[in-house]
Amino acid sequence: MTAQPILRVSALSKEFRGTRALNEFYLDVAEGEIVALIGPSGCGKSTLLRCLTWLEQPDDGFIEVAGRPFGRALMPRGVVRRQSRREIDALRPKIGLVFQQLNLWPHLTALENVVRPQTVVLGRARAEATRRADELLGRLGLADRAGRYPHALSGGQKQRVAIARALAMEPALMLFDEPTSALDPELVGEVLTVLKSLAATGMTMLVVTHEIGFAVNVADRIAFMDAGAVIEEGPAREVVANPRTPRLRSFLDLVLDRAQVPSGETLALPQTE
Amino acid sequence: MRFDASILVDYWPLLAEGAWLTLRITIAAFALGYLAGIAVALLAILPGRLPRLMASVYIETLRNIPFIIILFVVYYGLPFSGVRLPATLVGTAALALFASAYYAEIVRAAILALPRGQFESARVVGMSPAQAMWHVVAPQVLRTLVPPSTNMTLTMMKESAVLSSVTVPELTYQSLIVQGNTFAPFEVFAAVAAIYWLIAIGIAEASRRLERRVGAAQAASVSANPIAARYLSLDARRPS
Repeated sequence: MTAQPILRVSALSKEFRGTRALNEFYLDVAEGEIVALIGPSGCGKSTLLRCLTWLEQPDDGFIEVAGRPFGRALMPRGVVRRQSRREIDALRPKIGLVFQQLNLWPHLTALENVVRPQTVVLGRARAEATRRADELLGRLGLADRAGRYPHALSGGQKQRVAIARALAMEPALMLFDEPTSALDPELVGEVLTVLKSLAATGMTMLVVTHEIGFAVNVADRIAFMDAGAVIEEGPAREVVANPRTPRLRSFLDLVLDRAQVPSGETLALPQTE
Repeated sequence: MRFDASILVDYWPLLAEGAWLTLRITIAAFALGYLAGIAVALLAILPGRLPRLMASVYIETLRNIPFIIILFVVYYGLPFSGVRLPATLVGTAALALFASAYYAEIVRAAILALPRGQFESARVVGMSPAQAMWHVVAPQVLRTLVPPSTNMTLTMMKESAVLSSVTVPELTYQSLIVQGNTFAPFEVFAAVAAIYWLIAIGIAEASRRLERRVGAAQAASVSANPIAARYLSLDARRPS
């Protein structure tokens, strides 16, 4: 890895009443890189994203975003200083999170969903915020949907509004939580296109997913996570083609198997048109 | 026996005065009680055990005592500790205290019914807790608050009749006086019943208008199933 990473996570740990959700988690994401984080359910992926945005306080470890410590800072002579709520809130716009359930604000139009955080958090003038929101929504193909409320948008459109909302804060890094899971399967391609176009602008992204095909298509690098830590990582295609650890191998066997139904099996599914 | 309407003609100024005071007491106790209710509700949803405990002690205490006893405790308790205030003021405060516990429960339940992800998505973009409450939570909660708050306000308005027992000259108190002067209880109480009914109709109508005003855009947040959203959001896998 060359220059300063955009995201540096070191020794991040989080325990929930005896369960170690994160166990000394390490990960670096370089500028402009897309990393897909895969792993079985319950391996700590969601907890990781909640800790990276400080929705959940990690018990231990450090997060650095664009070279600045987030949440906790290591001071000279090994003193750990907890940042104040204000310091944390000030850095949060730098980390864009697109929730699995999107969590758009249903009482505001698509445009207002993108405008409001800018005016409230960044103190931008309304006109300026609106101009940026229009531009972002236009870029994401939603120019004609700006005035609609979230309930009048399709799943894919809602997701793009959520992406625009995060992008409007000019984040250094975008986090995606299972971007394909809340959508109909035929929309997976659409998400892929959006993420690819984001990548083309040089956006740094960490995408949590359990769809291997999607991960291979979208990511430069795949990190495989199990029991709260990254066990294997490397270039996307290579990791999937030649898994080194037995755990990744068995995980891949499992998910890839499920995708292609064994031919010999007699599945009693009615053949419908 | 014959319904003697002339009594009402003679004594209507007293009854009107009482009705006007009942209305003013209700409005004041509503405003005061709601402010206190919101404060207690916010206390109840704050992280940490102590504020939650304080809120629940407040709510449970007030909800489990008959209003007339709350009134007596406040009314006789204040002079007991050296504070002398007019009966109307003390009565209104006691009524506000009584209603605030129920308002607190209404506000708390409405906030908790909103999917947690709404608050979290506001926090994640960098809004402070207060900003997230103001811009994201409050506007969505407003509409769900109206019907239960109306019910409680009607109950409270009717409970204000109890203030007559500590000499607050509201509608019930005045009707007792008129009845004492005229020995015509049926005529007086029938008229008073009608006046209470009219006040209640007024409150219900005000609430209907309010609901219509805050309504339109929030329909979506009600139709989206809050239970599903709550359990499917990012915090779904957090063991509790």
